[in-house]
Amino acid sequence: MNGYGGKILRVNLTTGKITKEQTPADVARDFIGGRGFGAYFLYKEVPQGADPLGPDNKLIISSGPMSGLMIPGAGKCDFTTKSPLTGGYASASMGGHFTAEIKYAGLDSIILEGISPKPVYLFINDDKIELRDAKEFWGMGTISVEKQFKDKLGEEYQVAVIGPGGENVVPYACINHDFGRQAGRGGVGAVMGVKKVKAIVIHGTKSIPVSDTTAYRQAGKALYKACKDASFLAEWTRYGTTVVTSWCDEVGALPTRNFSAGSFEDGKNLYGSVMRDKIVITDKGCFGCPSPCGKYSRSKKYSSYVEGPEYETIGLMGSNLGISDIEAVAQANLLADDAGLDTISAGNAIGWAMECYENGIFTKTDTDGVDLRFGNVEATFELIGKISRKEGLGALLSEGVKKASQKIGKGSEKFAIHVKGMEQSAYATHNATAMLLAYMTCDVGAHHNRAWAITYDLQVGRDLVVPEKVARVIWLQNFRPMFDVLGGCRLQWVELGIDRDLYIPALEAITGIHRTWVDYEKVGERIWNLTRMFWARENNGFGRSWDLPAPRFYEEAPKSGATKGQITKIEDVHRLLDMYYEQRGWNKDGMPTPERLSALNLAELVA
Amino acid sequence: MTAIIRATSALKVYLDGKDEFEVESGHTVRETLVRLNIKPELIALVVLDGEQKTKDYIIQDGDVIKVLAVIGGG
Repeated sequence: MNGYGGKILRVNLTTGKITKEQTPADVARDFIGGRGFGAYFLYKEVPQGADPLGPDNKLIISSGPMSGLMIPGAGKCDFTTKSPLTGGYASASMGGHFTAEIKYAGLDSIILEGISPKPVYLFINDDKIELRDAKEFWGMGTISVEKQFKDKLGEEYQVAVIGPGGENVVPYACINHDFGRQAGRGGVGAVMGVKKVKAIVIHGTKSIPVSDTTAYRQAGKALYKACKDASFLAEWTRYGTTVVTSWCDEVGALPTRNFSAGSFEDGKNLYGSVMRDKIVITDKGCFGCPSPCGKYSRSKKYSSYVEGPEYETIGLMGSNLGISDIEAVAQANLLADDAGLDTISAGNAIGWAMECYENGIFTKTDTDGVDLRFGNVEATFELIGKISRKEGLGALLSEGVKKASQKIGKGSEKFAIHVKGMEQSAYATHNATAMLLAYMTCDVGAHHNRAWAITYDLQVGRDLVVPEKVARVIWLQNFRPMFDVLGGCRLQWVELGIDRDLYIPALEAITGIHRTWVDYEKVGERIWNLTRMFWARENNGFGRSWDLPAPRFYEEAPKSGATKGQITKIEDVHRLLDMYYEQRGWNKDGMPTPERLSALNLAELVA
Repeated sequence: MTAIIRATSALKVYLDGKDEFEVESGHTVRETLVRLNIKPELIALVVLDGEQKTKDYIIQDGDVIKVLAVIGGG
């Protein structure tokens, strides 16, 4: 099949058996690849009620038709599983170079099944595929393990590795790659860890078949030219995601002290320009990227190097914790990366704990003797380690804010900032109704990357509750994740503003299949409905109540900052959901109707 | 006394279809954006000679100020 590696690799960790099968053409037609393959195999093969940490759960790792080819941003890999954090659908997208090697090894997906009796790593060199003993690496941080593999096997091997967080099965453990890239959210690292897979190391030398080589080269060049001609290429490359830090602070979207406000009085010390001056030493990119947005930083204070921090980490481990020192945020980033923890969920958990302490819900007995006030940098560093080892207060925080607050009670559930059990990423939504809806309805929980709608809020009126906003969120949800399906990065479109129609001839030349963006968005809609059905299948009583935001966003107006005194009304929360369900073709409780499922060719799969 | 504002294509609609516009110097970026009917809160980044400036920066003669609208985000 043009554009594909050609095979699905299955690794049964219980028996040690490794098999390959042809990538099914009908699945490629209807789900395309990447996140689409993840959703398909998850629904089809993980049995209803499977324990996310048991042998029946699977970790499905997929590249897409763009991956590994000369298209800007062709470096993304999808990791899909049943989430140990939420009990629902998890999909995490990882940049770097790993996805290219999957294609070069003649594969499209790697499916990890069962549970290994002892720690192993999966070694792939073209057709030489083996499970090898990982005893010598078990217990080590991700950075030194990746370095050891690179030194031992060679630079051309790409490595995906878990840290102690994954080994200890922390529900928001992540998977690390290329020293600073992650499959971050939803506990994909915990699933890898409970299966006792320390790492996957992969290298391939096969060619990827494409339908029309001349047209592919031409279309690829046109895409690269559009990137090079983009008027803000230099600025995007210079600042990366930190370009939004100052703006978020200005408009009240920067999470501050556990999302109690959207502006931070010391926020200036975290801005992109300050970070660039203080710690950034170079820019770092992924496979095929003309606009390297990764920032490689050196902290003199902590004598360390880290890729990052990205905006999300600056939000959740900086302003959200009342920390204004960008070097401290960089160090926290490094500790979390090495331990293999999602910085967004960890930052949220620590912020929640700080608020518990400041409210008197926790005393020093609960905090292992620590004065756990907002702004305590050393306590933050310590808690990252304790969470990864499930030690002391870290044991409670490792469960995530939903479960932790349910255990503690005393009103702490009101400031557990999550949707569906996934902690909210770094946009405070006290008064930004499209972005709030985006978080409420995101398919993995409160994550921003499906529908980044907050500018639309500012363009049309942040507190407006109108059908146009809902339509915008739905369009973004059907469109943006298609990059995850295609195995590439959306940021060339998002940040450089290149014309998305330039991708169409490239993808057609690669796959030989003509599809417009309308066709791709239909696939996006199909996947969206399938993962919704997965949530419903796996969670009794799933429906509208699972789409509600954290109470903070309809009960507690910020007392300071750009959104002081501004809050969304609960009636508007429900109006947003009413309009959303209607526009999606779902019933009033948020479930896809049989007609919608038929129209998307899903009726048989979900029967 | 003039300077130039250069903007991302999303802002062309405010600039007579152009992505470059001549403006008076001596005013802040914020004031200048308001005069151009561009809501300042739509602008994520203000850059002069490769360096980020705040919206309170007072535009000087001959400056070429680039303004990046927040369209896509993260």
